[in-house]
Amino acid sequence: MQKKPSRRHPSAFFVCILPFCALLLGGCASQTTHQGMTPEIIDTFNKKYSHTVSLGITGGKQTESTGTPQISDIEFKQALLDAINKSKIFSGVIEGNAGEYLLTVTLFNLEQPMIGLSFTVKMEAGWTLKRISDGVVVWQESIESEHTATVGDAFAAVTRLRLATEGAARNNISQGLSKISKLGTI
Amino acid sequence: MLKIRLVFNIFLVFALLLLSGCAVNRATATVTPGMNFKNVKSFYVMKQSNDSRGIEKLISDNLVKRGLRSSYGSQPTQVDAVVTYVDKWMWDMTMYLLELTVTVRNPSTNFPMAEGNSFHTSLTRKSPEEMVDEVMTNIFNKTE
Repeated sequence: MQKKPSRRHPSAFFVCILPFCALLLGGCASQTTHQGMTPEIIDTFNKKYSHTVSLGITGGKQTESTGTPQISDIEFKQALLDAINKSKIFSGVIEGNAGEYLLTVTLFNLEQPMIGLSFTVKMEAGWTLKRISDGVVVWQESIESEHTATVGDAFAAVTRLRLATEGAARNNISQGLSKISKLGTI
Repeated sequence: MLKIRLVFNIFLVFALLLLSGCAVNRATATVTPGMNFKNVKSFYVMKQSNDSRGIEKLISDNLVKRGLRSSYGSQPTQVDAVVTYVDKWMWDMTMYLLELTVTVRNPSTNFPMAEGNSFHTSLTRKSPEEMVDEVMTNIFNKTE
């Protein structure tokens, strides 16, 4: 009688490989990028102010390799700058405080889930638009935004969390510029 | 049998994902530029709807310890700032406070004036009182 060749059950292989995959994925949080945070479409109702603006971003954090994806001041500033240039809502963005207006965005309350298949990230940012010449705050508002990334967006949890975080920032920028466009005369 | 193995595998992945961040500590504070805290003397701590552990009382008590006026429960008519918070709990043998974010807001506009955040995973866990104290200390250090 011929002996049936023995075959290891495939699940034993997965039991061995999965922890290593998980360790790798869990320990490699990636920084959010300005490309991911720049909105494609910004509803500014074709409003174009003939003033220049300078940008000030605070409250951002650097991503630690063992932590969760964070939003850094530099990346958020670049995303906001790209969005302003794309929408042309201001005539130009000036480095430092040399613009006619100063747009300050303070990043608060980044709420990220610990676990799950769909990751919904919520964030809040305090937006302030100040006229430099007389120091008058022409607009100040707290803007809340969120974005959900699913397994369809990315299988790896760290990537999914980064995409959800970038999406929340992207929506925040989009809302902020949209609200500025509705101010009328500034 | 296959289902049990699948569940086990999924559990293993999640457990390891959690364990891989077991020594993360973070304590930060952010203050909106130009905010003046010198005149902020009275606070109202707004209870988070999901909180059943009385964090609002701990925050309020901490403010009182610092010589400030603070209340929770029914909202007083006039205060200098409203405090909101988000507490995240995790289980590792016992429940512990993983992350606490406290935001101090302008009572009339709801605009955030300052925010503090502490994040301590299981191995470096702190009691809720210690977490509250750490967050509030960071906020007040930043506003000085």
